Amino acid sequence: MDKEKIEELKIQMHKRLNEAQEFIQQVPPIQLYAAIGVVLFTTFLFTIIRLFKRKSANTVVLTGLSGSGKTVLFYQLRDGSPHQGTVTSMEPNEGTFVLHSETTKKGKVKPVHLVDFPGHSRLRTKLDDFLPQAAAIIFVVDAVEFLPNCRAASEFLYDILTKANVVKKKIPLLLLCNKVDKITAHTKDFIRKQLEKEIEKLRASRTALSSADIANEYTLGIPGEAFAFSQCHNKVTIAEASGLTGDISQLEQFIREHVKP
Amino acid sequence: MLEQLLIFTRGGLILWTCKEIGNALRGSPIDTLIRSCLLEERSGAASYNYDAPGASYTLKWTFHNELGLVFVAVYQRILHLLYVDDLLAMVKREFSEIYDPKRTSYSDFDDIFQQLKKEAEARAEEMKKSKQVGKPVNNNLVKKQGQVMKGSMDGSNKKNSGGDSENGGGDGENLKGHLLENGNFNKNHVINRELPRMVNSNGKENGSSNVGAFDVNKLQKIRGKGGKKTDATVNKGSKVEPKKKVVKKNRVWDDSPIEPKLDFTDPVSENGEENIAIVAADQGESMMDKEEIMSSESESEEEDIGKNGKVETKKKGWFSSMFQSIAGKSNLEKADLKPALKALKDRLMTKNVAEEIAEKLCESVAASLEGKKLASFTRISSTVQAAMEEALVRILTPRRSIDILRDVHAAQEQGKPYVAVFVGVNGVGKSTNLAKVAYWLQQHKIKVMMAACDTFRSGAVEQLRTHARRLQIPIFEKGYEKDPAIVAKEAIQEASRNGSDVVLVDTAGRMQDNEPLMRALSKLIYVNSPDLILFVGEALVGNDAVDQLSKFNQKLADLSPSPNPRLIDGILLTKFDTIDDKVGAALSMVYISGAPVMFVGCGQSYTDLKKLNVKSIVKTLLK
Ligand SMILES: Nc1nc2c(ncn2[C@@H]2O[C@H](COP(=O)(O)OP(=O)(O)OP(=O)(O)O)[C@@H](O)[C@H]2O)c(=O)[nH]1
Ligand SMILES: [Mg+2]
Repeated sequence: MDKEKIEELKIQMHKRLNEAQEFIQQVPPIQLYAAIGVVLFTTFLFTIIRLFKRKSANTVVLTGLSGSGKTVLFYQLRDGSPHQGTVTSMEPNEGTFVLHSETTKKGKVKPVHLVDFPGHSRLRTKLDDFLPQAAAIIFVVDAVEFLPNCRAASEFLYDILTKANVVKKKIPLLLLCNKVDKITAHTKDFIRKQLEKEIEKLRASRTALSSADIANEYTLGIPGEAFAFSQCHNKVTIAEASGLTGDISQLEQFIREHVKP
Repeated sequence: MLEQLLIFTRGGLILWTCKEIGNALRGSPIDTLIRSCLLEERSGAASYNYDAPGASYTLKWTFHNELGLVFVAVYQRILHLLYVDDLLAMVKREFSEIYDPKRTSYSDFDDIFQQLKKEAEARAEEMKKSKQVGKPVNNNLVKKQGQVMKGSMDGSNKKNSGGDSENGGGDGENLKGHLLENGNFNKNHVINRELPRMVNSNGKENGSSNVGAFDVNKLQKIRGKGGKKTDATVNKGSKVEPKKKVVKKNRVWDDSPIEPKLDFTDPVSENGEENIAIVAADQGESMMDKEEIMSSESESEEEDIGKNGKVETKKKGWFSSMFQSIAGKSNLEKADLKPALKALKDRLMTKNVAEEIAEKLCESVAASLEGKKLASFTRISSTVQAAMEEALVRILTPRRSIDILRDVHAAQEQGKPYVAVFVGVNGVGKSTNLAKVAYWLQQHKIKVMMAACDTFRSGAVEQLRTHARRLQIPIFEKGYEKDPAIVAKEAIQEASRNGSDVVLVDTAGRMQDNEPLMRALSKLIYVNSPDLILFVGEALVGNDAVDQLSKFNQKLADLSPSPNPRLIDGILLTKFDTIDDKVGAALSMVYISGAPVMFVGCGQSYTDLKKLNVKSIVKTLLK
């Protein structure tokens, strides 16, 4: 069936080609050269634009468990307000913009391409589409409801930190402890230590089992030593923020470090 | 009264809420709706029930797919508000007029909303007057289900359709049309609840196809008198057998189906026990730990899929559809999607996906595409296929981690054994696969103990004992006629005494309808509160998968003395090597239970245990 179609197509192509040849013979050569020139020029332009775009990596990905406050942070960064609140995201929020706090700045500021990727675990496979282009990753952790989610968060973080294209490109990662406006929030040192402990345990079970699907391409840490984020191939830093009150200066600083103005 | 009406983007930003209503909702109905219904490919349902302490809400929703908006209405379930669908449709229409992606505040919508609400209420009132017959009664059946799954889809019963003959004026009629349409939609869901029984016969036929294996095995018995001695050789050839389909035979459920190798069901084998070679840990690496070489072929497969899709579109309209796709069609309508969805549904069903599940999935995909603009250079069929592929990947991606070793380590730290209970219907290979899991755990230096809690079927204990001997794993047994719950309890106590890390509890196979046995199982679970309830199911089942799993969960919930009953946590899919491309059971089971496939049994030796490869399953399903 397919072959027939292709044959049909071939015959038609031949016809068109012949027609085209006749047509070309009728057209004066100068016009022809001009046309070719235009075509070449536009393709050249396109490739230039492509190259330029690829070089200027300005994508920053917000990720983390559901309910950690990514969407609120996204709108804080973009508009300086969480608006009327959020519900669980079903799709990523994406935008290329100049950070809200920098809109008043003079001079040229390079816009950031920010992606807020939903935390629901069913959507996780799609995160792989965004991570390779990222100039930086922000892993948001809910500092208030931290302990019940500690294991899930560590597993998620472990998966990110062992992804081949994250490790190979050494994409810097920020551990952002969110919701520090609440007094019950844990400190960032506590959170870091707990996560390190959990990942240490995961290291034992994960290296033992490698499945076809959730293949962790790289192993974390140094064998025989307790895991610490400082051993990662990627640079891992830790900071605090409160998306709701707009206290996000450390976050903005991190973004600017990796997306140079 | 309406409790709340929200408009938000698919990205999760709330654009507008009705401030005037302003009641604070109890619990978090909206987030729960999104997490356990809309993101679980159940958005084709008509409504969702949410129970929080002190409140029981019903939620209804509609999408504007082109603009990426979601409209949700929340109301008290007891109120049976008639106008909600109507109101949502109007709100959607009016709001999409003023929507602008750059705007985030829509306070001017307040007035419009008040007006719309008044109109909708008036229409509902009028309709009520025009037919006195009765209010639609909410489906009571659903209530129970609601307890099970926290919230559940339901369709309001269409009782009021009896009053059709005495209808009112134009407006009322209009509304009724709308309602009726909705009613049809609902019906699906009402039926769903009763459907499995009807489908049963079909499913059984499926189940019995492994009679083939049974017969061949008998032959072997006759051939080699020593029986078990031939085992090793039999195994090599066994891959071929199961495909042979023997003409349907009456299957006696209590008669254990005999599998060629790993099965030691036959009590006779006790005599020949000396012959059994101890395998210990030299059967090689469990396949759980092997990387699958899948990626290399997957690319070429992808192309194939593309081609297949092409062939499906009518040959004649090739050029016209090409033109259409270049021009970019206007918004997709339900009717446009229908043929493509129908084709897709049929394809899923040829892969042995339960019909009910295929239907619901298609509804959900339709709900997510309706009103969307077709991108240029794309065909409807490929758009639908892409949406379905995404949905399938989402469903099969586990909701939580399925790293059992990590769980075992966690239990180790707490100094208590990790308890896994294997449940399922008869003859699906519970004991055999329990042994495989034991072998795999053992390889990871975990001390395993088996508990023979199938005190019902004769031969079951001996069967497990044989596995235990071969693997040199301690087994806890108390013979027959004992209460399995007590046996399990003693086994766990024994395990903590002798320092075992994991207790694998074998239970009697039982049909999902067998009330006394199901009661016993729910008691076993209640008494021992295991860490993992693993449902063992055959990859061969078709429509019966739905019935098995939903009934198991339902019975576990209903018959449990506990107010927070435990449900199935994970699935072990057996006989995966015998089904070719008919991998639908994996999808059906995961969809209906929400539990992930944790293991896949794919052969006759201890090493034949794998993880589910989501990508390859999705590819096979859509091929
Ligand atoms: N107290 C406090 N609450 C916050 C803060 N940031 C977010 N929240 C709340 O946390 C909840 C979840 O926030 P979202 O931004 O929707 O969470 P998310 O990470 O986008 O979640 P998903 O979209 O499901 O992945 C909301 O109810 C917010 O009000 C914060 O800094 N402080
Ligand atoms: Mg969000």
